[in-house]
Amino acid sequence: MSKFPEELIELLNDPATSKIVGTTDEDGTPHLVAKGSLTTFDQETIVFAEGFEGTQSNKNLVRSIWFDRKVSVNITRGLSSYQIKGRPYKYLINGSTFRKMIDRARARRGPEADIAGVWVIVPEEIRNESPAYRGKLAGEKRGLFHNHLDVIRRAE
Amino acid sequence: MSATQELGVQALAGKYPDVPKSIILKLDLQRRGIAFTEATADATSQPYYRGPEQTAFSSKETTTRPFPGPLLLRDGTSVLASPVKGQFSDPYTIDFLDGKFFVFDKGERIDEVDFSPRPEFYGKLTSRGVPMESIAWSRPQRLDIYPYRYCHYWDTRDQCRFCAFFTDLKQQKQLAGDSYAKVVHPEDIYETVREALKEPGRFSQINLTAGTDYSGDVPFEKEVERYVEVLQAIGRNFRTRRFPSQLIAPAYSKQQVKRLYEETGLTSYCPDIEVWDKELFKWICPGKEKWFGRDYWIRSAVDAVEIFGKGNVYTNFVAGVEFAQPNGFTSMDQALDSNFEACEYFAKNGVIYLSLVWTPWKGTGLGGQKQPPLEYYVRLVRGLVEIRNHYGLASDNDDFKHCGNHGDSDLERLN
Repeated sequence: MSKFPEELIELLNDPATSKIVGTTDEDGTPHLVAKGSLTTFDQETIVFAEGFEGTQSNKNLVRSIWFDRKVSVNITRGLSSYQIKGRPYKYLINGSTFRKMIDRARARRGPEADIAGVWVIVPEEIRNESPAYRGKLAGEKRGLFHNHLDVIRRAE
Repeated sequence: MSATQELGVQALAGKYPDVPKSIILKLDLQRRGIAFTEATADATSQPYYRGPEQTAFSSKETTTRPFPGPLLLRDGTSVLASPVKGQFSDPYTIDFLDGKFFVFDKGERIDEVDFSPRPEFYGKLTSRGVPMESIAWSRPQRLDIYPYRYCHYWDTRDQCRFCAFFTDLKQQKQLAGDSYAKVVHPEDIYETVREALKEPGRFSQINLTAGTDYSGDVPFEKEVERYVEVLQAIGRNFRTRRFPSQLIAPAYSKQQVKRLYEETGLTSYCPDIEVWDKELFKWICPGKEKWFGRDYWIRSAVDAVEIFGKGNVYTNFVAGVEFAQPNGFTSMDQALDSNFEACEYFAKNGVIYLSLVWTPWKGTGLGGQKQPPLEYYVRLVRGLVEIRNHYGLASDNDDFKHCGNHGDSDLERLN
């Protein structure tokens, strides 16, 4: 299990960050949902709340923990972006982390906000997907080959 | 039954790839039982987990100590399994290592597990001075209340032969004496529920059950009256007319069921059939046969659908007890056919026929008998879910987080 980079931890703790969870249904079709609650408490695992047991996303997560399938998470704010690939490790239906998440949901969305459970994802791969970082890697790998010429033209 | 049927969790997960390993493990944890190491007993006595002191009456050696809440598997599946010493010949072991609980089978580490934590109302008293943890018990997301702590089937020795609730008549009579209120005061129940609901997100259902009391001018009238009173007291805690709840009770007349629905906020009714086969029902459930027989129990469940609606009436059966000897089935296929026939019949009529694993507790009429192999339970839960799916039924009242007894409803999470 890898520790998260500082920048990723900062992004995870920022409510303004876009946080997308990607799962697959029975036939492999991708399913993406935004999870505003997604964060980390231990800098090693991802947690997020599930609002309802019967959602497609939740069923896909149950299928993933039952039959050992991966899920993916995208964290983006401005030009900073990370992808985390991992596996659901736990689904919490009570206990201290569950309590922390329901308290946060109610603080954010009002006293009647509710959650069904909390997923804990153990990352297996963390990828920096920020354009600057990816561009640098691409440049190192293939030189100028993929650049449009107007990008490198001399200014008049 | 042949030796090839005695497959373990791993082998069965391979043979039935559509059934998750965690559900097969749950079935086997219930079938074979669990035992705690000293480290687990210590860890579960700590404040985060510590449950009420309980006495295990069904054991030869009477054990009194705090029991934690139900076991939780990683996928959130709750497992009702008691670590009662001397009950099981080949239990799984729950050990506590480096701050985490793990389940072991014959020394092999199987998986990480946890226990449902102590709810915040434990340790508090009602205004009448009654400990709230003696009024209600916590499952992972459910509050269990037993308003009447005595089963009158025992008076005439007509108790269900598998029953482990009141397995020692003498001790039970003592429990029902001065030191232990047989009838729980509705105000104590009202206050306990009120306190329990202060804990955010801790409970999403209330379950009532009790020993059977068939007394009254009309049979069961006193019991129905008691439930109405208790459900009304609980209902004062809610601002909605109905609240998520289930009553596991004897078969009542349609009029009695209607009264429960109309005068309270109850949402689900569950008269347990226990065993489907006609002759086995007579033998295994003599009290139910006397008051008033299998056909009456079936009709009561089916009629209740008109009142509570499709999918809101349940009937549990003790899966495996149909193999009890000398009268039970001797083949898996026979037993599966019988249970699938029952499930089909009930499902067609809007009733959910739900399995729970038989534990032949020592001290019960069937104590020490051999359970069917694990494969039986795997085939059973697959088949039951397939039938219920066909009829559009889902066991929300008794799902993985509310009860902890039903491998079949656990499987419905993908539906």
